[in-house]
Amino acid sequence: MTAADTILEVEEVSRSYREGGKEFLALERVKFQLNKEDFVCIVGPSGCGKSTLLRILVGLDRPTSGTVRFLGEPVRTGDARLGMVFQSFALFPWLTVEQNVEIGLEARHVPAEERRAKARKHLDGVGLTGFENAYPRELSGGMKQRVGIARALSLEPVLLCMDEPFSSLDALTSQTLRDEILQIWSDREVTPNAILMVTHSIEEAVYLADRVIVMTGRPGTVKAQCEIDLPRPRNPKEPEFFGWVDEIYSLII
Amino acid sequence: MAELREPRKKPSSTHHGLPKPGLTQILGLLTAIDGAGGETDVARIAVDVRMNIVTIGPVVDAAEFLGLVKVHEGDIVLTELGSKLLRSGLRQRKEIIRSVIDQMPLFRQVTDLIRAAGRPLSRQEVTETLSEHVGTHHSDATFQALVYWGRYVERVTYDGAAELLGLRGPA
Repeated sequence: MTAADTILEVEEVSRSYREGGKEFLALERVKFQLNKEDFVCIVGPSGCGKSTLLRILVGLDRPTSGTVRFLGEPVRTGDARLGMVFQSFALFPWLTVEQNVEIGLEARHVPAEERRAKARKHLDGVGLTGFENAYPRELSGGMKQRVGIARALSLEPVLLCMDEPFSSLDALTSQTLRDEILQIWSDREVTPNAILMVTHSIEEAVYLADRVIVMTGRPGTVKAQCEIDLPRPRNPKEPEFFGWVDEIYSLII
Repeated sequence: MAELREPRKKPSSTHHGLPKPGLTQILGLLTAIDGAGGETDVARIAVDVRMNIVTIGPVVDAAEFLGLVKVHEGDIVLTELGSKLLRSGLRQRKEIIRSVIDQMPLFRQVTDLIRAAGRPLSRQEVTETLSEHVGTHHSDATFQALVYWGRYVERVTYDGAAELLGLRGPA
């Protein structure tokens, strides 16, 4: 692994808050690295600070101490090379599907024609051609999240970050979206160089990731990093799959 | 491919001419069956995915209506078409589903109606036609299903602001 392969370096990141005159530590000396071709999931018990960590990693929050370096430089807010998919979809209800995808490109002053072409390409990539002029209210949760994914991918990010992207969806819908993310990941033409996803589902992490970062309860810190060596497609019914799920559960509980 | 042209004859209380659940849930169901070896109990899947008969029932029914599974006394089996759909990419999936939707009488009737009118039809015009087939009570839900599947297979456009349903031209 060379320095050129390193995408994200998280060095001793801590984050504390003051609440009711007291200081409490949410994250403590979190340290890990993300490289090209990594699909990494972060799991941990409720309240371990994994979403706070993700916000720090994409520059939406700042650590109390420690550093985050993205492509060798301190991470900054609004870096177009960092794509983000939110649990709540974060779509503008008054904009159509296509306009919701274009808006991120518009903010980066991409010319109108190029915006439209990119939006259409990435909507097609998530199977939403035909729904360009639909409004979010006309879409199911799974389709709304596909718009969120298309919007993030349209920026052609180096790193795609996802914060519990499937947790508000039913089990059948989320399974389909997991498989679609893996299809996108295997498509070298549109894929980002790495994916970092926060999830509270250990099964989901084992299904998707090459590596699972396991966090402790508050204050959140990295307890273990598990290299998931199962071939894809992975079958949750296989004993080897359950072996990994069991292993990670035992690290947390 | 005979399944494509001969969707099951069994009447259903949930589809009324077009499946209500979307393809995302249907694919999730097919994945669950495939993970169980291509054949399992509906009850087993419902337990695994923590859904109940009210939520999973329409998905099973829609998958059967589209010819993707066969259901008999609580057992559910992937058909050849269901298996093919599951193993296809996004674009190919759309082509497979298009060939099924194109054969659905209600879908054909509405698209023929728009074609004959030579203009997009209002939501009201379409739901009036639909209500003759599925009853007033189901016409709105059927309209929504028609818009969903029509958009998915890239046969129709729907302007939600103007409430106009039209045919999609070549891209």
